[in-house]
Amino acid sequence: MSTIPINTQESPPFLLDLIYRLKVKDVMTKEVITARKETPLRKIQHIMKEKGITGVPITDEEGKRIFGIVSMDDIIRALDGGYIEESAERWMSRNLIVLEDDMPLQFAISYLDKFKYGRFPVLNKDRELVGIITSRDIIIALLVEVNKEVEKLEQQIVQPPSKPGEEAWLLYNIRKYDFENAGKASAGIKKLLIERNIDPKTLRRISIAAYELEMNLVVHSDGGTLSFRLGQDRVEIEARDRGPGIPDVEKALEEGFSTANEWIRSLGFGAGMGLPNAKRVSDEFSIESRMGEGTIVRTVIYLIVPP
Amino acid sequence: MKLETVVEKIPCTVVVKGKGFDEVDLRSIVASDLMSDVLTTVDDRFLIVTSLNSEQVIRTADIVGAPAVLLVNGKQPQNGMVRLAEEFGITLLSTPLSTYKVCYLLGCLLEAT
Repeated sequence: MSTIPINTQESPPFLLDLIYRLKVKDVMTKEVITARKETPLRKIQHIMKEKGITGVPITDEEGKRIFGIVSMDDIIRALDGGYIEESAERWMSRNLIVLEDDMPLQFAISYLDKFKYGRFPVLNKDRELVGIITSRDIIIALLVEVNKEVEKLEQQIVQPPSKPGEEAWLLYNIRKYDFENAGKASAGIKKLLIERNIDPKTLRRISIAAYELEMNLVVHSDGGTLSFRLGQDRVEIEARDRGPGIPDVEKALEEGFSTANEWIRSLGFGAGMGLPNAKRVSDEFSIESRMGEGTIVRTVIYLIVPP
Repeated sequence: MKLETVVEKIPCTVVVKGKGFDEVDLRSIVASDLMSDVLTTVDDRFLIVTSLNSEQVIRTADIVGAPAVLLVNGKQPQNGMVRLAEEFGITLLSTPLSTYKVCYLLGCLLEAT
């Protein structure tokens, strides 16, 4: 069986920090389903099926003192050996490997690597059963934490410090075919401009340019970024993608020329109007494209500066 | 033409009552299932007539400044579409009539006002 490759010193510092920062008690399942010594194995088999679990600790009445554990393997052996109707006491695994609730999660991960068990009972300082931890619990906890961290990292990209002479700067990551979120970047840009009291006609042109470029990224690119800079007298919008590149830029600027497929058209896009329309509403417009590398579309719209 | 008049004279249901519903004055009608086309319209304050029931219709309406969307052919809006219309304050209507029929009636209304 392969080992879980996040316990080594080669793992990213964030992950190492995470598995030492998180305690077993932060990750474990606290509602432990237990059985008594006299519970028949057949009953335990039914509990496993009903609750969707693969191991049942055998405890005292209060569920605090643990004597052993009956795993799915024990049940299979009991069915095989014909003693499934017998009580847990005789057949439970007594060779218990337990974790302490204050241990770093790192211990649980190395135990999963070291021992063949799929779950470990968790005890507190008074040796009372307080939880149970499985590889599933660990996966969920790690994914939740990693997601939080990635979100933080992405936000750092989205809100860079503004430079002198620049009123605001927004950067959005746009994913290919992500129609669910398509248009959110443009809506964010529009919202910011409404707060700045940009005149409605200019606002409309900026919004259209942003939306067309955003939809272009969603429909045609392999994903990229949409950046927006608000200066004193101008707005710059730049769509930068990771490919595939436009083979014939002049052709892409012809109205009605489109490479979109049927299902994109069925969503109301891909009529071959995007780039020409973005150009129409812009004061400055440029495209750079390299096949296999990507495309950068830049538009500038001048703001009406009060004298 | 008042949006209220449209709701009164055309057989349709109001799915979302948008911002300033009572005061909205429509300057024209744009009928299209291609949001790309709607985005090239020079006017604003128009009613979008479409059989497309996706969120992008509402996003497009917001971008071009169209205060209302009329879904034709009895199309039911997707949940996301309703949520977005509420968020953006855009009126969302639905009619069992076809695009042709609705546009004919809207044309007559626009003439009369």
